[in-house]
Amino acid sequence: MRTVIKMFMVLLGLAIVTLSGCSDSAPSGPVASLGPNTVTKYVSVGNSLTQGIQSNALYESAQLYSFPYLIAQQLTKAGASIGTFEQVYYTDPGTPDATGKASRMEIISLTGPVIGPRGLTPGQPKNTTLTRPFDNLGIAGIPLAGFMDETGTYSGGATGQLVLRSQGGFPKSVYKHLLLLKPDLVTFWLGANDVLGFATSGGVSPSSPTPSAIFGALYTQALDSLRKNLPNARIVVANIPDVRAIPFFTTVGPAVSARLSALGLSLSYQKRGEQGIATGTTKLNEANPPMLTLVSSTYATLLGTPTGRFYKDNRFPALPPGIDTTKPFGLDPRNPWPSALILDPDEQALVAQATNDFNATINSVASAKGAAVVDFFSIFNKIKAEGYAISGEIYTTAYVSGGLFSLDGVHPSSRGYAIVANEILKVVNQKFGMSIPFVDVSQVPGIPAPLSKLTAEKTILPLIPAETFKSFEWMFRQSVEE
Amino acid sequence: MTSLTINTSPLDSLASFSSIWCVVLSPDPTNTHKTKEVFLKHSLRLVASAAVLSVLITSTLYGGGFQLNEHGARAMAMGGAFAARASDLSAIYFNPAGLAFQKGAQVLLGATLIFPKTSFFGPDQLNTNQETKMKSQVFTPINLYASYEIMDGLVGAIGVNNPYGLGTEWPSDWTGKFITQKVDLQTFFISPTISYKVTDQLSVGAGVNYVTGEVTIKRMVSDPFDPHATTEIEGTANAFGWNAGVMYKFSPTLQLGASYRSEVKMEATGTASFDPARSAYPAGDISSNLHLPATGFVGVAYSPIDELWIEADYQYIGWSSYKELAITFKKDNSTSVSPKNYEDTYMIRVGAEYTMGDLQLRAGYLYDRSPAPAKYVEPLLPDANRNGLNLGFGYRLSKQLNIDVAYLFLKIDQRKAVDTEIKFDGTYNSMASLIGVNIGYSF
Repeated sequence: MRTVIKMFMVLLGLAIVTLSGCSDSAPSGPVASLGPNTVTKYVSVGNSLTQGIQSNALYESAQLYSFPYLIAQQLTKAGASIGTFEQVYYTDPGTPDATGKASRMEIISLTGPVIGPRGLTPGQPKNTTLTRPFDNLGIAGIPLAGFMDETGTYSGGATGQLVLRSQGGFPKSVYKHLLLLKPDLVTFWLGANDVLGFATSGGVSPSSPTPSAIFGALYTQALDSLRKNLPNARIVVANIPDVRAIPFFTTVGPAVSARLSALGLSLSYQKRGEQGIATGTTKLNEANPPMLTLVSSTYATLLGTPTGRFYKDNRFPALPPGIDTTKPFGLDPRNPWPSALILDPDEQALVAQATNDFNATINSVASAKGAAVVDFFSIFNKIKAEGYAISGEIYTTAYVSGGLFSLDGVHPSSRGYAIVANEILKVVNQKFGMSIPFVDVSQVPGIPAPLSKLTAEKTILPLIPAETFKSFEWMFRQSVEE
Repeated sequence: MTSLTINTSPLDSLASFSSIWCVVLSPDPTNTHKTKEVFLKHSLRLVASAAVLSVLITSTLYGGGFQLNEHGARAMAMGGAFAARASDLSAIYFNPAGLAFQKGAQVLLGATLIFPKTSFFGPDQLNTNQETKMKSQVFTPINLYASYEIMDGLVGAIGVNNPYGLGTEWPSDWTGKFITQKVDLQTFFISPTISYKVTDQLSVGAGVNYVTGEVTIKRMVSDPFDPHATTEIEGTANAFGWNAGVMYKFSPTLQLGASYRSEVKMEATGTASFDPARSAYPAGDISSNLHLPATGFVGVAYSPIDELWIEADYQYIGWSSYKELAITFKKDNSTSVSPKNYEDTYMIRVGAEYTMGDLQLRAGYLYDRSPAPAKYVEPLLPDANRNGLNLGFGYRLSKQLNIDVAYLFLKIDQRKAVDTEIKFDGTYNSMASLIGVNIGYSF
């Protein structure tokens, strides 16, 4: 018996020893570091994408997931002594629309789904008394020309003033704010509005993207000036994704197409430049079909009915010549699908051409000025084709269920911004020899997000009140006219 | 199946085993005989209650792939090299042909306590080396066997054990929460078996396996309104399999054994639930298939001196049957497919048993090669190659009563998940300690 006890004690001892003293050896993985670099000030320049707009509004709980804010947090984790990354906030529920109510879109019901503002009282600006310029110089609606503009023409109007505060004694241009901050790391992502305003307005307002030659001159001037004044700064620029793949353009078309084919009918639409009787017809299922904007989702439900709703909503003083709203909407050339709600193949070609030209400029100017380039054009095309998989989730460009985009179908969701931040950090790490950890996408709120991978395949026609997008244009209205 | 899902903590059965230890550790040295009697009463009652408890609780398991290889403390102490000798009732699992040489009526009751430990460094996709520790759990697979010698050379037997199972749980808010928070898989095999001695050298055996199993998978889902939304999928399945074996004794000191256990095709049905519930989710009935792989043993045992037996076994496991985990949601007739692409694999087992009167000392070694390709290593089952060191003993307390105790330390190789489909690369460090106890009684 004694032997048994001894044996047992030995075994028990072994068990206790091995259970308590576990030899977990950490793998030789990445260690957060800035490499040979010092980063004491990070400043971001850009438009609504940089400011952190989501779901048709600027609001604090989304701004805390703006990609520059996320990058700043990751920089700190890698040892950068950048202090608090300052942004001007708009408290929830955020900025107002034209009627004075909060413009932020929310999912009101998953059945439909019904998506739109809740008619809430808007929030208030916050952090407006900061005694130095903001680190996030993103301004919704700003085109490339707004970077150095001191006239107020292109620097974002009233929304730009939230950031610039030139009446409060601060400089009038984004550029001069940047110089005051003396950054050693800059992200510069401008140019999307030079094509997006044209695209989202169905090629109507403005009636063309910024001309490529003007874009080229502005971009050269911007990076020239930056480099001259910040000779040692790490500068990261980003190019422009193909906006035709954002859910703003890919959601309504397939739903209307399904309805048309069920009826055996074609959509009658106004081609580029047409204002009265339409000559365009489409079944929306041919190769390279016209794209219907997300603004048109309400009107899609009126297809085939005698309605003049579009003209009423947009306060047309009189119906355009030839328009007869007693005819079935969208099916009869006398009551056609309006040009402002459709990006026809000609307009799409203009978008593609402008994007290509702008990106060629961005590439060549950046390499001449020693700036790193984040190729969002290629990254986004890849996401469009394959989705973006991370930690078991697959994000797609599908509206709502894809999880990448916020409810306005143009601006990323919080997780979308986290992915934007990570793609920028990848380039920063690679080009500058840093090892900054990426944002843990799974810890970022998923609103909106995939309800289920399974519903992602279905075409949905969201019910979005037409007035939702009334205040939308300020986010990317401006491009430079010839 | 509801009787199997009483949510008692596995620690309850651990407590029962602690009681056994206390009895063993406090004998009366002046009266060994009396101690044996007291022990007999206590231990039978305790083992019986522990066994019953183990059946009742949700006992989840831990093994190569999701296979479990501990089905009796005697075999376990010898690295599981037991197909050639199969000289106790765990022959029902290792090689039913071994039953033909076993006399009279017997029962063998036992359980294994498994203490796994795993941590994850990563994910690499986030350029981070952050560590997450798997929640610590204790698993208690059981083995209950009974046999009866119908006539000389013909033995009938029945066994209940858990050859496949899995249990992993990660912190609910960890970075892989959309992949998995918790998985529980358990199977019970009920195996009526018959064995026949053809000659004094040759025996054969075969059994039917009635398999009942259940699985629970819990993870987070992205919800537009609730940042803590989860989905839980539960399924149960019943199926049949079979097994057969042959044993040949060349001489009193050399024998061979081989056995085969068939694949079991489990077609599970169950429900998917979502918290919070929303009409957009495919809640309700689900179906899935989970194929438990076939496995086969070949072993040779040799006795160089009277007191010593040594055995070496090769075990094949047909893991290539585990291609994917596909769950079909009845509500929208959609299927969610998670590819696994496991590969056939093997184990090498060697063991020895040295007899000193009533005491048998045992030791062994095993090598268990992981079936999971690096691309499919995931936190649900962070599989890796294992080297096991085994120790144990058997002690005959009386003519009727026998106790076996085994300890196994599994040194699990560091495993890197590389280029994973779920985009969750990183490094897993694991180890496990296992303690097996069996009580045998001959009537």
